[in-house]
Amino acid sequence: MKWRKFNIIIHRDLGYLCFGLTIIYAISGVAVNHIQDWNPTYVLEKIVSSVNLAGIESADNEALTSSVLEQLGETSELKNVYRQDADTLKIFVVNNNITVDLNTGSVFQEKSTKRPFLYEANFLHLNHPKKLWTWFADLYAVSLGLLAVSGLFILKGKKGLAGRGKWLVGVGFVIPLFFLWLYS
Amino acid sequence: MEKPMKKIVLMFWLLVLGALPLQAKTEIYGKGVSIQEATPVSAILDDPDAYVGKTVRVEGLIIDVCAKRGCWVYVAGDRQGEKIQVKVTDGEIVFPMSASGRMAAVEGVVEELKLSREQMISYLQHLAEEKGQPFDPDTVTDERMIRLRGIGAEIEG
Repeated sequence: MKWRKFNIIIHRDLGYLCFGLTIIYAISGVAVNHIQDWNPTYVLEKIVSSVNLAGIESADNEALTSSVLEQLGETSELKNVYRQDADTLKIFVVNNNITVDLNTGSVFQEKSTKRPFLYEANFLHLNHPKKLWTWFADLYAVSLGLLAVSGLFILKGKKGLAGRGKWLVGVGFVIPLFFLWLYS
Repeated sequence: MEKPMKKIVLMFWLLVLGALPLQAKTEIYGKGVSIQEATPVSAILDDPDAYVGKTVRVEGLIIDVCAKRGCWVYVAGDRQGEKIQVKVTDGEIVFPMSASGRMAAVEGVVEELKLSREQMISYLQHLAEEKGQPFDPDTVTDERMIRLRGIGAEIEG
């Protein structure tokens, strides 16, 4: 088999294989790039409201917690309760952190919901699983390198590397160099 | 699809499934925790100079998580109202929002940040605003911030 034909086969099949993860990483990449402006993994909702805790013994964390959750209509699983100080009670339920000012009855809720698809995409892209995924992601990175190199040699002639290809490859190097110079 | 190709595709999916995380009871972050004996947060805060630069293990309830990047958590101390921040390098360890309200063991190096009064007020005000809590600048009496540079953590599921 001629080397160019073998190169095309490598490029084609690696391209098919890498398609899924490339799309996942590309979407996650854009999402994470703008982390200054938003949380790419969770939808955060901050709610200020109030509850009436009159008649409940201020030292009775259990009764206070039950009353707060009932008044807020919060039914998610209770994870923990923490008495930060005499006036502040923190209640942790799944996907909701509730801070209660026991003096005023003021309540601050911080609700977090996983962004569908992006949570999973970022989980993989940022290598949270570690373990075997690290090796798989390394393999994917090597495959991308092979895709890039094999892509250079798909076409011959004017539209190949010897023709317009060399200029476009050059531009591909110049762009990051320009930004390195700009921000140095 | 040809038989050898089928085998390759099957092996690929087995590899992918094998890479998926198992739902462990305790989740390990970073390098995990190797020190066996925990240092009370109160001991660190009472005498920070004795601990700065030392690697310690602290245990407690996670009461706050950085909502934006998961780059810090606050661990409640053994004395009411006390807490210590565990800061990790962005991206190296990312604490999920679900870590709040969970018990954790954290290992890290005690470090001291020396901020100006204005910087400390600005930082604490930002944290309070993010958590919807009132903040009185007059309560800031110490410009030293003692925290842990996190190396690893084990968080109960």
